Amino acid sequence: MNNAILQINELKTYFFTRLGVVKAVDGVSFDLRKGECLCLVGESGCGKTATALSILRLVDSPPGRIMGGAVMYHGEDLLQSTGARLRQIRGNRIAMIFQDPQSSLNPVFTVGDQIMEPIRLHLKLGQRPARERALSLMAQVGIPQAKERMKYYPHQFSGGMKQRAMIAAALSCDPEILIADEPTTALDTTIKAQILDIFRDLKQQKDMSILFITHDLGTVAGIADRIIVMYGGRIAEAGSVLDIFDRPKHPYTWGLLNCLPTISERREKMTPIPGVIPSLIDPPQGCIFYPRCQWHMPVCQEKRPEEFVISGEHIVACYLHK
Amino acid sequence: MAIRRISDIFGGRRHLLFSGLLLVLLFVFLLDLLVIDHIFGPFVYFYLFFTLLIIFYGIYPLYVNRRLTRYYWERTKRHRLAVIGLSFIIFLVAVAILGPFLTQDPTEVDFPNKNLPPVGFSAEQAIYDRNTGNFITTETPGTWHHPLGTDDKGRDMLAMLVSGTRISLQVGLMATLIAIFIGLIMGVVSAYLGGWADNALMRFTDIMMTFPFFLLLVFIVFIFGPSLWFIILAIGLTGWTGTARLVRSEALSLRTRDFIMASKSLGASDRRIVFRHLIPNVLSSVIVIATLSIPGVILAEAALSFIGLGDPTVTSWGLVLHAGQRSLDTAWWIAVEPGIMLFLTVLAFNFLGDGIRDAFDPRSQV
Repeated sequence: MNNAILQINELKTYFFTRLGVVKAVDGVSFDLRKGECLCLVGESGCGKTATALSILRLVDSPPGRIMGGAVMYHGEDLLQSTGARLRQIRGNRIAMIFQDPQSSLNPVFTVGDQIMEPIRLHLKLGQRPARERALSLMAQVGIPQAKERMKYYPHQFSGGMKQRAMIAAALSCDPEILIADEPTTALDTTIKAQILDIFRDLKQQKDMSILFITHDLGTVAGIADRIIVMYGGRIAEAGSVLDIFDRPKHPYTWGLLNCLPTISERREKMTPIPGVIPSLIDPPQGCIFYPRCQWHMPVCQEKRPEEFVISGEHIVACYLHK
Repeated sequence: MAIRRISDIFGGRRHLLFSGLLLVLLFVFLLDLLVIDHIFGPFVYFYLFFTLLIIFYGIYPLYVNRRLTRYYWERTKRHRLAVIGLSFIIFLVAVAILGPFLTQDPTEVDFPNKNLPPVGFSAEQAIYDRNTGNFITTETPGTWHHPLGTDDKGRDMLAMLVSGTRISLQVGLMATLIAIFIGLIMGVVSAYLGGWADNALMRFTDIMMTFPFFLLLVFIVFIFGPSLWFIILAIGLTGWTGTARLVRSEALSLRTRDFIMASKSLGASDRRIVFRHLIPNVLSSVIVIATLSIPGVILAEAALSFIGLGDPTVTSWGLVLHAGQRSLDTAWWIAVEPGIMLFLTVLAFNFLGDGIRDAFDPRSQV
C-alpha cells in the first residue's frame, strides 16, 4: 500500500474526566509514508497531541484510554504490543520530540548524559562509543562545542539549544519515524527557522518519516508533503500541501488560511474564525464545526459528514462537497 | 562486556563499585555475626556503610562538581546560623568519634567524689564526719579532674556527656536514615503507581499518622525491650510518614513534567524512570527533611530515656537528665548540662536544615 510505514486506523482515545468523557480522538485514520513529512494541523484541543501520544501509547492512564482502532507498524499493531516490545520501539524505531524544551530535560543530569541514555538503552553501546555517537549527533543538530556542552546541565542551555539536544536524543538510534509535537512553538522565529532546517535535512538525507504537529499553518508550508487538518478529534480535511493551500475545501481550513498574514495579497485585516471549539464532552450531534460555520446546511445538524474524496488523496469531511 | 552490562544495570561504574563494597561489607558482617562471633558490634558495620554512602554519594559528587559545590556553599554561607550549626555538628561528630578514647569510663562510680560541681562553681555538700558522727556542711569547689563535675554516684559528667553525644548522633542518624528510606520508597511508589495502590499506601500512611507517635514508641519499646537497636528501629519505623507525604507530593508534580514523558517516549522502563528521574529530583527535599528530622529523633530518644524506657546499658543524655532531676536542688549541673547539650544539638540541626533548604530552593534568591 503506497509504502506506508505507519497506518493509523479508526483511532479512538477518550479521556475519562469528572465532568464526562472527552472524545479527544474520535475515529482518526491516516497513513504515514516513508520519507515524507506529514503535518497534523489544528487549534489547541483538537486532538493533535492525543493522536501523537496514542501512537506510542503514551497517553496517561487514568484519565486517558485508547478505546479502539489500530496503529500498524510493519504489520504489528502497536496498540496490542506488550510493554517490553513497546519500549524497544520507543526511541529506537519511533522517536518523539515535545513542545516545551524547557521542561523536557531532566534538570539533575547533564545534557550529554541524557542524549546518551537512549543510545546505551537501545544500541547497547558502552560509555565511550556512546559518548562519541552523542558528540556526532550534537554536531549534526548544530550544537557548537559539543564536547564542552555535553557536561552542561539543562539550565545552562538556551531554549533553542535544549530543543536541539532533545532532537539529538530522539535521533540517537536512527529512528524510522520521528513524531514532533509542536517542536517550534516555544521558540522564537529565527531559532524556529533553524530547527525547521534540521527537520528538512533529516527528511531529505536520512529518508526519515516525520509526523509534525503544529497549530501554525505558516510553519507547515515550508516542510510538509501532506497536511491533515484536524477539528474536534476528527479529520476535517487531508491532502497534499498544494491541495490544502491552493484548493482548500473545508470551511474550517478556509478559516485557518484566513488567519494567516500574507505578503502577496493586500488584506485589510486577518479574519479569525468566530466562536470557540465546542466542548468535546458533549459535542453537537452533527458536524462538530457547524456552530461556527457560515455555510452550514440543515443536514450538518443531523449527521456527521463522512470523508468525501475530492481527488486522489485529497479528502474532506463536509457536506458542501458531497 | 559482562562487567559493562552489570554496570549498566547499576547505572554506572560508581554504583557498581559501591554495590560491590556493600556486598563485601555484608559478607564480613555475616561472617562476624555467624562464624567469628561478634568481634565488632553491628554499629561498626553501620558506620562503615554510612561512611561508604557519604563518600560515594556525598563527597565524590561534590568533588566532581566543584563549581556546583562552591555555589551551594556560597548560598549556605549566607546563613550565618547555618554555618554555626554546621560547625557545632562537626564538633559533635568529632567528639562522638574521638571523645570516648580521651575521657574516663562514664560508668565508673566513685562515691567519695560524688556531686562535685563543674569548674568555677562550688556547692554545699553534707559530708558525714566519722569523728563526731554528725553531718557537716562544707563548700566543695569544682576540680579540673572533673571539669564538668560528677553525678550522685561520682561518675564523671564530661565522660557521660561524651558518651551521650555518641548515642544521640547514632540514634539521630540511623533512625532518620531508616525513616527517610521507607518514606522515600513509599512516596515515590505511591506517586508513580497512582490509582488504588496510591490510595492504599497513603491511607496506611494516614493511619500511621493518627497513632500518637510517642505512645506507639513506648508501646514498641515495652514489647521488645529497651535495647538501643529497638529504639532506633522503633523511631525509624514510625517516623517516615511526613517524608512519605512530602516525597509523594513532589513526585506527583514531577510525574507530569515533560521530561518523564520524554524519557518514556525514548523507551525508558518504569524502574529507570523511578530511579533516574523521580528519586534524584526529590533528593534535595529529602536531604532537607532529613536534616530537620534528626533533632526530633534525638529528642524522642532522650524523652524515652528520661521516662525510663531507654536502654539502661548506655549512658545517653536522657538517662543523665533523668538521674539529675532528682537532685535538681542540690546538684543542678547533673540535669542542666545534658539539657544544654540537647538544646544546642537540636538548635544546630535546625539551623543547618533551614540553611540547606534555602540553599536548595532556587526560588529564594536572597
